[in-house]
Amino acid sequence: MLTRRALGTIAGSAILPRVSLAQADNRPTVTVAVQTIATTNTLNLLREQSNVGERTSSLVNERLIDLDWFDGIKQVPGLATAWRRIDDTTVEFTLREGVKFHNGDRLSVEDVAFAFSATQMFGDSKPEAGVTLPMSAQYLIGVGSKALPPEIPPVARRSFPALRGVEIVDSRTVRFVNATPDVTLEGRISATGSEITSRRGFDEAASWLDYARKPIGTGPYRVREFRPDDILILDAHDEYWGGRPPIKTLRIKAVPEVSSRINGLLSGDYQFACDIPPDQIASVERNAGFEVVGGPILNNRITDFDKTNAVLADPRVRLAFAHAIDRAAIIEALWAGRTVVPPGNQFDYYGPMLIADWRVPEFDPAKSRALLKQAGYKGDAIPYRLLNNYYTNQVATSQILVEMWKQVGLNVEIEMKENWTQIRDRSKPRGVRDWSSGAAFGDPTGGFVTTFGPNGSAQAAGEWRNAEFDQLCIQIQTSVDRDLRKRIYRRLLEIAEREDPAYTVLHQNGSFTAKRKDIRWRSAPSFVMDFRASNWGAGIRA
Amino acid sequence: MLRFLALRLARAAFTIVLVVTFAFVVLRMSGDPALIIMSPEAPVEAIEAFRHAWGLDQPIWVQYLSYFSAIFHGELGQSFRDGRPAIELVAERIPATLILTIPALLLKVGVGIPAGIHAALHRNSTTDRLVMAGAVAGFTIPSFVLGLLLVLLFSVQLGWLPSGGQESWRSMILPVITLGFGGAGVLARFTRSAMLEVLGQPYIRTASAKGVPWRMVVRGHALPNAAIPTVTIIGFMVGSLIAGAVVVESVFSWPGVGRLLVVAVSNRDLAVVQCILLLVATTMVTSNLIVDLLYGVLDPRLRAGAGAH
Repeated sequence: MLTRRALGTIAGSAILPRVSLAQADNRPTVTVAVQTIATTNTLNLLREQSNVGERTSSLVNERLIDLDWFDGIKQVPGLATAWRRIDDTTVEFTLREGVKFHNGDRLSVEDVAFAFSATQMFGDSKPEAGVTLPMSAQYLIGVGSKALPPEIPPVARRSFPALRGVEIVDSRTVRFVNATPDVTLEGRISATGSEITSRRGFDEAASWLDYARKPIGTGPYRVREFRPDDILILDAHDEYWGGRPPIKTLRIKAVPEVSSRINGLLSGDYQFACDIPPDQIASVERNAGFEVVGGPILNNRITDFDKTNAVLADPRVRLAFAHAIDRAAIIEALWAGRTVVPPGNQFDYYGPMLIADWRVPEFDPAKSRALLKQAGYKGDAIPYRLLNNYYTNQVATSQILVEMWKQVGLNVEIEMKENWTQIRDRSKPRGVRDWSSGAAFGDPTGGFVTTFGPNGSAQAAGEWRNAEFDQLCIQIQTSVDRDLRKRIYRRLLEIAEREDPAYTVLHQNGSFTAKRKDIRWRSAPSFVMDFRASNWGAGIRA
Repeated sequence: MLRFLALRLARAAFTIVLVVTFAFVVLRMSGDPALIIMSPEAPVEAIEAFRHAWGLDQPIWVQYLSYFSAIFHGELGQSFRDGRPAIELVAERIPATLILTIPALLLKVGVGIPAGIHAALHRNSTTDRLVMAGAVAGFTIPSFVLGLLLVLLFSVQLGWLPSGGQESWRSMILPVITLGFGGAGVLARFTRSAMLEVLGQPYIRTASAKGVPWRMVVRGHALPNAAIPTVTIIGFMVGSLIAGAVVVESVFSWPGVGRLLVVAVSNRDLAVVQCILLLVATTMVTSNLIVDLLYGVLDPRLRAGAGAH
C-alpha cells in the first residue's frame, strides 16, 4: 500500500518545514461561508453525524485510511502507510512515520488504540452483543467530565458492530480485531467516526465537550478558535505530513442566508460560498469572475414508504409510485441537469460490489396504472409528510411528485411538518415521506444495509420490515465470500426496490460551492473540502 | 401611587409567567429535541439515552414544575447542545446585539422624531411629503429586503462596506442602518400625527395669541403634549433591544441573541429558547412599566387619575 506518491509526500514533508521557515509567509487567509458549521457545535464525528460536520472535521482530523476524492474515492494511505489482512477478523496497520499532532506530539500506536477504546468509543458495550448503553446519564453531554456521553457508544457500535479492539503489535504496528468475520473492516476504518486524535490532548482538555470542540488532530489545519454557530478559525499546521498547507488562516463562517453567502462572495468578503441551491447557479455565474463547482455527492434522495399504511401494504401500489416518477424531468427542472439518477440505491464507489446493470424502476405511467388496477386501488388518500426544504429543492420536488402520481391515479396529500418527530409520529397514518441514503464506505453495508436492515432507522421507525431482507443483511455483514455477498446484495436490491419496495430512489443529491474563478481548487463528490497543498493552485496535479 | 405601581408590577409578573408557560408548552409539543439534535439517523438507544439524560422522558407537567422550581432558585437550565448554563450562552450574545440595537435606537430617535416634528411644522410642504414618503418606505420595506439592497449597493457594487459578519466597526454600519431606518419611519409618522393633533388644540392658539414666540409654543406646549404616543413607541423599541434584530442578524450573519434564538428554536434547545423569551418578556414588561410611569410624569392628569381610584 506504500505508493510512490506517498513516498514522495513523506520526503517532501521532511524538508518542507525547514524550507518554510526561511520563506516569508505570504499565504492567504481564506474565508469559506457555509450555511452551518456543525449541527452539534462539535468536531467529533461520533456526535456530529451530519454532512456539514464531515466538512469541518476533515480539515482538522484524519484517519488511518484516507479517501482519494478525485480518483474514484479510492482508499489511499492516510495515517497508515500500509495495511494487510491477517485473517477474516483482523487487519494490521503500519503507521506513517513522522506524523505530528497539532500539539507537536508524534502519532503513536497508543493514540490509535486510545481512539478506538472503550473510553473514546464503545463504553461498556460488547462487540458480539451489539448495542448496550450505560444506564446512568449523570454526565449528560460531556460537560465538566471526561466520561463518554451516552449517545456515543451506540453510534460507534453502528460503525463497528463487532470490533473487539485494537492490539498494539509494536511501536509502528496495530491490529484491528473483529469478533466476527468482516470484509468491510478497512472500509469502516476509512469512514467518518474513525478519526485519530491525540491522547495527551484529550487528557489535558477540561472536558469531553471541550476536546470535541478543539480536538488535537493531525490534519492540515488546527483549531485556533471555535465560536459556535458563528465562526471556526483554523491555522495552518505547518508540520503537516502531507506538506505545508497553502492557506495561512482558514475561516469557516456561518452565514445562514444563501443570498448573504452569495453577496459576500461577490463583494470579496468570502472566497468560497458553500451550499448554493441549483437555482442560484446561473445568477452567480453571470459574474465573470466567479463559478460554481460541485455536483452529485455520495447521497441519494429517496421517497420512503410506510408499508403499515393500509393502501401501501400492497407492494404493487408502492411500485406504482416508483414507475410514475419522471426522474430526468426533475433533474432538468430543479437541478439544472447537474445531478444524475444512480443505478438504484448504490454508488460507483461500491467498486466490485456495484450491481452495474441494476436500474431504478423506469418511468412508465401505463405500468403504474396497471399496477394500481391490479391492486384494486380506489383512490384513497395517501399522506405525504413533508419538511420545508430540509433537503435541497425538497418542496418543489414534492409538488412535482404529487402531480406525477396524480397523473397515474394516485391520490397523495401533502402534510407540511416542522420536524422529524412530526414526520415519524405513529399516532396518525403515515404514507410516504422524503429521505436520503448515503454510504459511509464503499460497500452496501456502509449505508443501504444499516439504513434498511434489522438495526436500521427505517425498521426502528416501524415503517418497513421484510424477513428475508433481514436474514440477508446479517449474511452480507458477516460473509467473506465476495461472490456470495454480491449475489446477496442483488437480492437485497430486488426486495427493497421492486418486490417489496421500502423506498424508491429519485436522484443523487448534489452539493454546489461558488468560488472565485482565479482560485484553482477542486470540489469533492462530498461535503468534504480539501484545502491541502495537493488541491490548491499549482499543487493540483493534472 | 403605590397601588398603581403594585398593580402594574403584578400584571407584569403575570405576563412573564404566561409567556414562559406558553413557550414551555409549545416548544415541548412541537418536536423532540433528541431527534433534532442527534439527527433522525441516530440509533434508537442513543435517542432514548439523550431523552433520559435531559429528563425529556418525564411527563410534561413534571418537567414544567421542575422548570419553575429551578427558575425560583435562579437556575434557567442548561443548553442541550452545549451543556452550559443557558443564561451564560445568552449573556455572551447580548453585547453583540446591543452594539447594533442601541445605535439603531439612537438613529430611530435622532432621525425619526426631528423629522416628524419638522414635517408637522411644515405640513403639506415638499419637506413634509419627502419625510412622509421616507417614513412610509421605512416601515413598509421588510428589513431583510432593505438589508439585502444595502449589501448589494454598498458591498457588492461599491465595495465600501463588509457584507456581513462582525469583523470591525465598519461591519456595524449596514445592520444599524437597516434596523434604524424602519424604526425612524415609524417614529416620524407617529410624531408628526401627534404634533399635528396638538398643534390644532385651543391652548396652542391661545399661547400664540398671547404673543408667546412660536418656538416657545412648540417647545413648551406642543412637544410635551405630543410626547405620549412617541414615548409609547420608544418604549416598545427599548423593550425589543435584546431580541429585536432576529432577521437583521440572520441577513448580516451577526452573532447576537437573534441568531442564537433562531438556532436554539430550530434545534429545540429548550432551555436557551426559554431563557431568551424570559429575558425578552422581562425587558418588554419592564419597558412598558417605565412607559406607564412616564405617562404620569408627562401628563399630571394620569397621575391624578391613578390616585383617585
